[in-house]
Amino acid sequence: MIRYIARRLAQAAVIVAIVATITFALIHIAPGDPFSAVLDNPNVSETVRQTLRAQYGLDRPIPEQFVRYVGALAHGELGWSFSHDRPVLEVLGSALPNTLLLMVVALVGGFALGIFVALVQVARRGSIADRILGGITLLFFSMPDFWLAILALLALTYWLPIFPVGGAVDPVMHEYMSLGGRLLDRLKHLALPALTLTLLASATVARYQRAALLDVLPADYIRTARLKGLTERQILRRHALRNALLPIITLLGLSFPALLTGAFFIERIFAWPGMGYAVVNAISTRDYPLVVGGVIIGSIMVTVGSLIADLLYAWADPRLRGH
Amino acid sequence: MATEVARPRESPLGITVRGLLRQRSSRVALILLGVIVLIGLLAPLLAPYDPAAQPDIVGLKSLPPSLAHPFGTDPYSRDVLSRVLYGARLSLTIGILATFVSLTVGVAYGSVAGYLGGVVDGVMMRVLDALLSIPRLLLLLGVLVAWPHLSIGALILFLGLTGWFGLSRIVRGQVLALKHAEFVTAAQALGASRRRILVKHLLPNLVSPIAVAATLGVAHVIVLEAGLSFLGIGVPQPLASWGNIIQDGVDQIATLWWMSFFPGLFMVLTVLTLNILGEALRDSYERRS
Repeated sequence: MIRYIARRLAQAAVIVAIVATITFALIHIAPGDPFSAVLDNPNVSETVRQTLRAQYGLDRPIPEQFVRYVGALAHGELGWSFSHDRPVLEVLGSALPNTLLLMVVALVGGFALGIFVALVQVARRGSIADRILGGITLLFFSMPDFWLAILALLALTYWLPIFPVGGAVDPVMHEYMSLGGRLLDRLKHLALPALTLTLLASATVARYQRAALLDVLPADYIRTARLKGLTERQILRRHALRNALLPIITLLGLSFPALLTGAFFIERIFAWPGMGYAVVNAISTRDYPLVVGGVIIGSIMVTVGSLIADLLYAWADPRLRGH
Repeated sequence: MATEVARPRESPLGITVRGLLRQRSSRVALILLGVIVLIGLLAPLLAPYDPAAQPDIVGLKSLPPSLAHPFGTDPYSRDVLSRVLYGARLSLTIGILATFVSLTVGVAYGSVAGYLGGVVDGVMMRVLDALLSIPRLLLLLGVLVAWPHLSIGALILFLGLTGWFGLSRIVRGQVLALKHAEFVTAAQALGASRRRILVKHLLPNLVSPIAVAATLGVAHVIVLEAGLSFLGIGVPQPLASWGNIIQDGVDQIATLWWMSFFPGLFMVLTVLTLNILGEALRDSYERRS
């Protein structure tokens, strides 16, 4: 097990290194350099341009720049954000907790709801209820994140004003609230973005888990359980679900990219001050270092997510635990 | 027995497609998709107005749906119905062409890795792991922000070049599994070259998984293109794509609901039909194997 963890950690490190190389290539294949968008206009004098480029080492040969880039990354430096006038790491670091909060709530909620729906479907497999639920999950599965978010915003903040329109807290009143009031305010603002992402995540989980449950049902131990006289419900919950949990862990690892992408769009629409909101705003201000920083942090999050899922898998599967 | 008549050999894909058509849901999806494709093809005939025309930027701006403008107008007084119809054409074209790029690269990469095996395969798979752990949207953001004002052709290329990772892994697995099959050994014994074995003997066995990946891939590209256009770095104005129509109205979302509702509806219908067909293809193929 320890050897497995070590190997898997090394693998994750290699992946992050390749990601860093790819982003470096991206920066340098593109026309101009990170400063072009901001500096290459007649209002900036040539000396200012050259000084800044020299300061950031952009006048050095590419291999030297690469070494410096990797060195900087290893120290956790992601460059300077023009639009925020702060280090990229600081901008993304302060936004990260909000994104993680959104993702964790959606992950827990989405898996719980998805597994529940799948269990209901499989218990009545082939029935009308199974097919209707299957249709609904396919619909949500096919719905672009940002469209569902827009519909939710329209329906539940404008037409039926149940939830606040956007942001993480009330922009005016939050400062004057009591501790409990502040917590409630935060929850109210979190509810709709989290609900949207939960629905999107649960559709994938339900479709995947239904297939996984149907896969284990023909197994011998299920037949044994049935012959022992267990009810269908007991079989599903005690025997089928337990064995179908391994594919769920696999799905957990696979779902991070979609979850992160979904969070980006949802943050944009609900003005939720997370990483996605910062990166999406950086697109319109052409704050390239911030976008690249977002790509790197996002990739690290996905890598760590799949690492955790793999370790969880190795721990949960008794056939792998010994190795 | 002796009475067995030699039947014309049916291709693996033919069997898969026949299995697909046996289900009513996939027949309905196929018809619906056909209608959407037809709408895209006939957009110039069907659209009541020029999708880029701004006839009266003051008097005709942001009108709600009416008989003259069934889907309303946008803040630049353009007819949203016409833009949605032309958007169908553009979104489908981008989806199909980008998927074609993905399939070409994915099949080539996966089959080479699987067939050569060893160290080459190991390195190629590690690179693939890294590529798979960059969320596709983020990778595209990095590229598209670096290259502002891209042409549609370049956008298609980048969408395609970021979409082959999953497929190439499937192809590699299949090639790896079939590499030591008897028919491959037989071809080798007959002196066939590596290239001939790959193209003539291995690839035909991969047609069904590729068809599944292609169908789901088009759906994915359509959503992705819409997402990028929604963020303002996909399809450039004044061209209409489902994503950039929604973007045009997002700042006044509460009042201009028709600008996000109608293009989104078309998009969901398209993606839904493609997903139904893709999943039915996969079921039909998996049941057979």
